[in-house]
Amino acid sequence: MVKVSIKELSMRYEKKYILEDLVLDIHNGELLVILGESGCGKSTLLKIIAGIIEPEKGTIFFNDADITHQTPQKRNIGYVPQAQVLFPHMSVEQNIKFGLEARKLPKDDVAAKLKWIADLIQIEDLLGRYPREISGGQKQRVALARSMAIEPDVLLLDEPLSSIDASGRESLALSIRRIQKQTETTAIYVTHSSEEARLISDRVAIMYDGKIQQIGKIIDIDLHPMNYLVAKIMGTSNVWPVLYVNENNQGTNISVPIGDVQLQRKLNKKITGIRINPSSFVITDSSVKPDKKIVFQGIVKSIMESDEKTLRVIVDVKDTDSEYIKVDCMKDDLKKELKANTELTLVVDSKEVVLF
Amino acid sequence: MFANIRRKASSKDAILNRFIIALAIVLLLSFLLAFFYIPIIRIFEYSFSSETENIGLILKEIITDKVNLYALGFTFLQAFASTIICLILGLPAGYFLAKYDFKGKKLLINLLTVPFVLPPIVVLAGFLVTYGNSGWVNTIWQSVTNSTTPLISIFGTIEGVVLAHVFYNISVIIRLTIPAWESVDYDQVEVSRTLGASKYRIFRKIIRPQIMNSVIAASLLVFIYTFNSFAIVLKLANPTYKTIEVLIYRSVQVSHDYTQASFLALLQLILNSIVIILYIFFDRKSRQIAEGKESNLKTDRFQFRNQEWRKIVRNLGVIFFLMLIGLFTFLPILAVIIRSFIPDKAGNSVFYGYQEFFSNKVVSVLNANPLTLLGNTLWIATISTLITLILSLLIVFILRSRYQSIRRYKTSKTESLISYLIILPMATSSITLATGVYLQYRGSAIFDSAVWVFIIVSHVIISVPFATRTILAAYNRIDVELMNVASTLGASRSRVFRKIVFPMIYKGIIVGGLFSFAISLGEFGATYFLARDEFKTLSIGIYDSISSQTLQIPLAMASLLIIITLLCFYAIHKLGEIELKV
Repeated sequence: MVKVSIKELSMRYEKKYILEDLVLDIHNGELLVILGESGCGKSTLLKIIAGIIEPEKGTIFFNDADITHQTPQKRNIGYVPQAQVLFPHMSVEQNIKFGLEARKLPKDDVAAKLKWIADLIQIEDLLGRYPREISGGQKQRVALARSMAIEPDVLLLDEPLSSIDASGRESLALSIRRIQKQTETTAIYVTHSSEEARLISDRVAIMYDGKIQQIGKIIDIDLHPMNYLVAKIMGTSNVWPVLYVNENNQGTNISVPIGDVQLQRKLNKKITGIRINPSSFVITDSSVKPDKKIVFQGIVKSIMESDEKTLRVIVDVKDTDSEYIKVDCMKDDLKKELKANTELTLVVDSKEVVLF
Repeated sequence: MFANIRRKASSKDAILNRFIIALAIVLLLSFLLAFFYIPIIRIFEYSFSSETENIGLILKEIITDKVNLYALGFTFLQAFASTIICLILGLPAGYFLAKYDFKGKKLLINLLTVPFVLPPIVVLAGFLVTYGNSGWVNTIWQSVTNSTTPLISIFGTIEGVVLAHVFYNISVIIRLTIPAWESVDYDQVEVSRTLGASKYRIFRKIIRPQIMNSVIAASLLVFIYTFNSFAIVLKLANPTYKTIEVLIYRSVQVSHDYTQASFLALLQLILNSIVIILYIFFDRKSRQIAEGKESNLKTDRFQFRNQEWRKIVRNLGVIFFLMLIGLFTFLPILAVIIRSFIPDKAGNSVFYGYQEFFSNKVVSVLNANPLTLLGNTLWIATISTLITLILSLLIVFILRSRYQSIRRYKTSKTESLISYLIILPMATSSITLATGVYLQYRGSAIFDSAVWVFIIVSHVIISVPFATRTILAAYNRIDVELMNVASTLGASRSRVFRKIVFPMIYKGIIVGGLFSFAISLGEFGATYFLARDEFKTLSIGIYDSISSQTLQIPLAMASLLIIITLLCFYAIHKLGEIELKV
């Protein structure tokens, strides 16, 4: 088991910084998901850890050894790239054996490890086939087997699910998770999908602007996103950026794309966004404005049944540029039936507004 | 994207790699310097220096000389006419071949490319038999119409030259535009149709912008090939018409006016460079347009049952057109082989030509032993191919070993320098090259005793761009991530090359080798320029004897060249694709 520390890593691509003084620590045996939008530099970071690209500045430690300038050959890592890159002229078996043979292991050991990994990843029946004869999901399993066969200190996965069918994604993600835990391999998993992060991560690191912005357990980041961008990358429902803040004698008025939100208190910190839980809204049809509540007018766009008791309603907010609010409501609480394209009023208590 | 990245020089692997690259660069540059750049500098030197007279006056005389101006005009005119006719015939043929699916389509496309790799002298022989004054076409025409005037006159006319050039280059247009037709976004066509655009409007607004760059690039290639044509013009049009190439040749070998020859060679070099630069520009643009697009052209089959009459007529028209193109392409080749079995005079056997060929004695019309010529041709081609492959691999190796990290991920200076250094030989015609070599090395001991060295060198320089393109195309198909993965799995550079790169490019290497073998086999211009009586190849032998009374002998030799070329071509067809582009 290995812990990885990255210190002040910088990298430029044609004068623009893609990584800037990036700091990141990955614990022994954990699966860390690096979550960020396309082009944020997360693949470059992975390639630097793999030794494929040399950074401009900064250091990388595996345990306490500085490996910044070591070749990929010596790092003992497993690397699964985004596209399904198996060696096309080799059978599945030869693909898996490639790394073992490069290490000049005795034949018996190679055979034993092949059997072990094929068994673990459940691809015994594919060994004799060629990459062109197997499906996308199977290819990615083989790529995983190939990288795990050498028993790497660190496993690096670059959007491993992005090039395969939606149906195979979840099962492959769970396989990755199972094998990583079973072998207790430290793993770094790069993706832009918050769903994948929710599915398999021990911890998540949110990356943009060439830096890791926030790192922690999914649930903590969901509850306390550092700012609006983090919340957006996490794919949280009902988050809006703050446009401007006005202090007045009732408290604070915050302007967000869905309208103005009046809070009954003063703010003591700078805020970038707000979140309102979908279940915090109450649907009414009265036009009387209740005291100390925030009111939104909108048109019902769609109504879906989340489960037997709850409905998920999407409301297009009036007088905005197609801003939507997601509302969860109990069927029993509804005073009359909701219909698409009808007007309604949403009320929310100002205490329910989460600021970050 | 990030294949080979700069590492600390502390790694042994990296030091070795740098050493190999440095060695490769030195080898490549010394070859180019000795056999290309120094000869080209020699041409400059001859152009602008004269021992006796004022050089300005001499140059002015050359420029204003009527013969020269006339030749320049003719060179442009015939190249332009050939290109236009190639386009008129080749564009629809390319479209039909992209649009219609039928059995043997791939083979037909490949066979249409045969003329391109055929030795020019064989093409000449084929034309003589097919379209000559007493050739097949004229004989049939005269017996049908009962007239005495021939239908086509290929000697001393511009038609002859243009016809031969179209025959030679139509495949370039067809082959290079098929992918363009295939990569047109036909969804856009469908959308425009639903928007009510007329067929003409769709073509003008949707299709034309998408294929234009490919068409221009292919046309520029045809233009440059015909602009540099030597053998065809020398035999068919000379002395009535001359191209610059023929004029350079005559200035050196007939009138020994080296100043004029050099100056014309320089002019040729400059004009060629301009066209090549334009070509590279449009080729890049066409690739940018086609990049990442999958073909969504819906192919058609030739169907006749239960079709409306218009569609039947159209299908028949397309089939007829493709058959005509096929006939035009294969007739001269077949003619050579068939005519080699027809005795010239009574009493000669059907196999007379082949008997003489394999008799292992000096044949009087050749003034040489034909088997020796065959031997010369084959070993020259073999050695040229080997050297070509080594140089091409070195170029590919240097170009792909980008020793830099992402922060300097721009084209490295070495890379762009080498790209330019190999573009210039591409822009040099075989006669310009031969003139430079001749001026630089004539009188040297090797030139006098072993002129074949220089023939090989010219063949190498002529075929390196083609072989490099073919190998590079194979190399570029390898996903860099494959190499990245292999190195993270612990494979050393040499292991990555042996286990990953080589297995994926060896077919490209063989195809590039076969291609340069075929080029060397039939190369005429530089060989004819440099070769002397004591050392000839088959091409020169055919040229020398084709005007004689016994056509069977040269045609037997030409048939042999056709067969060897076809064998090469068959192997290429089985293994992969050649790059007609340079």
